[in-house]
Amino acid sequence: MSGQYTVSATQAALKAGAVTQTVASLPATFRTVAEAHAGTADVLVMAGGAGWTADALAAVAGGTRGIVVVNPVPEDTTKLAAAAKNAGTAVVLDLRWASNPALVAGNGQPDARGAVRSAMGSAALLDSVAASMPGTELPELLTAHLAALLAVSGQLGDVRVIRSDATGYTVGGRLPNGAPFTAQGVLTAARPAGVGIHLYTADGGVDVRVPDPDAAWPAEVRVTGAHGQLLLPTLYESAHRSAWRRLKDHLGAGTLPDDLAGFARLADLYSTLAAT
Amino acid sequence: MSHHAAPTDRPLGAGILGAGPVTQAIHLPALARLRNLLEVRHIMDVDPAVASSVAARVGAASSTSLDQLLGDPGVDIVAICSPHQFHAEQVIAACRAGKKAVLCEKPFAMDAGEAGRISAVSAETGVPIVVGAMHSFDPGWLAAEQHWGDLPARVHTIRSSIVLPPNARFEDFATEIITRPVAGNVDHSDIEVIKGALRGGIMGLAIHDLPLVRRFTPDFSDVEVLHVSHVRPFGYAVSLRTPTRSIELRAVMNSTWKPEWTFEAIADDEALRIDFTPSYVQAGSAVATFSGGSETKTFGPYGHNGYEGEWRELAELARGTRQAPSAQALIDDLTFALDIARATVAAAAAGHAPAAHRAGVSA
Repeated sequence: MSGQYTVSATQAALKAGAVTQTVASLPATFRTVAEAHAGTADVLVMAGGAGWTADALAAVAGGTRGIVVVNPVPEDTTKLAAAAKNAGTAVVLDLRWASNPALVAGNGQPDARGAVRSAMGSAALLDSVAASMPGTELPELLTAHLAALLAVSGQLGDVRVIRSDATGYTVGGRLPNGAPFTAQGVLTAARPAGVGIHLYTADGGVDVRVPDPDAAWPAEVRVTGAHGQLLLPTLYESAHRSAWRRLKDHLGAGTLPDDLAGFARLADLYSTLAAT
Repeated sequence: MSHHAAPTDRPLGAGILGAGPVTQAIHLPALARLRNLLEVRHIMDVDPAVASSVAARVGAASSTSLDQLLGDPGVDIVAICSPHQFHAEQVIAACRAGKKAVLCEKPFAMDAGEAGRISAVSAETGVPIVVGAMHSFDPGWLAAEQHWGDLPARVHTIRSSIVLPPNARFEDFATEIITRPVAGNVDHSDIEVIKGALRGGIMGLAIHDLPLVRRFTPDFSDVEVLHVSHVRPFGYAVSLRTPTRSIELRAVMNSTWKPEWTFEAIADDEALRIDFTPSYVQAGSAVATFSGGSETKTFGPYGHNGYEGEWRELAELARGTRQAPSAQALIDDLTFALDIARATVAAAAAGHAPAAHRAGVSA
């Protein structure tokens, strides 16, 4: 079956976003075309390196219907958001961990965001550890880490860098109820890359473990309370595919995603951190 | 006074100073599993009713004074489970009384000077001292030690994370407690309360794993506290650094039923994770897992925990079949913990001023 929307990706995006195999998992909706046809493709995919907002603005001006940005670095998205809204272009961000469907499932399904936010009022400590291969750029890791934290927690205050060196970083701050949070990044090849988010509350907590999107291994979300421990339904879908599935839904419904608004909060937080 | 090996045809006698919940719920159940090696012969507590009641449970003599316990010829090994401030003098007295071995709950002294005096007396009398850092005696930890090779030299990141319910939950699984301390209301707006809680957190909770952390931190004497957060109702988030190591300490004591007690040492290409069982219950040993990429190797669980391991080692020391632990290692463990506690409290005090959040303290 031929695809409904044609997709063109840069070489960098193809690799970073595992575009070929991801699009192949939505064959009734998307079909890749050669990069040479980027000007006429319905959907453009770009890697989110420095300057990605300018590239996306150009794509919006060129009339593309959808844009997927893979792991964007923090940039001011104000102009892009306005232009995309005016043009009716759906801009979806494919984020390393934050796009995992276990964090924000949509459709009213149970997810990490619901579990964490419902427990946030009695939070005692949120402790998070992200692991990535040695050689990973720390700003890249921290961006992915904070994006995942913001996706589930909503708000993080008084954020500051406690340390940053060749082996990782530690960031600290406060949750809305004043409880501390810490986010540690560790560069190691000793274990699979991923992020763990552990919210400890007065009588239990929420434990979230998100793998890299290289494969469809599921994230695990466990809610612990007086009832015991509940494992939320596992979703064997990578962060990449989840992002594309959302794009499909928006293109089909003619709606616009709010990815850029959420990313603006991340960019604000990141700029605050950069100043500490 | 010289130390003589005990005969092997009868169990060694243990005398315990302090009959509180730790003695009742940890040491007596552990000793009950080692009846062929050890038997409790004397219980001392300043409360005569508690002393006699706890002693009666195990058929031991009871008293209310240190001298009476040390004068009991049936006591070969003295376990010191009294409040921290009494530890040093009691350890020294037990050594001078010619006992065969001494177990002192951590911390075994309140400063390096006390530790040095204890070490000198131990050397002079030949009485070996074991500090009750039970995870150091856990078979899971010991198995890791046998297999970690040069990992301690390659580690760059260390984490200790402790999540526990109030002690009573596990005490009640272990025994029938008498005389439980009464918990008071805590004023979290009082910096002195916060400082006391953080000091207690380091010296009472983190200290269980700080000897483990130190094993992976060759430059431990250069430890620096970067950030401190007090966690309510009881706990901490402390970030430490040495010139070559990043160390994160986390602890939460809440009303959860689900304990988590982990130690992690992470290098570029290999990591060790140890999952410990909770204290009090006889739930076997920790599980040690080495990982490298997608491969893992696991050791444990074994049949007993570190508390039982302590007593097994004490029995061997008393019989002269094992070499005494390094006094310098015990002193280094203590000074490492004291340095961290002192700097943690100082960071909390500095952060409680108007610029609290800038100093990183969220008390």
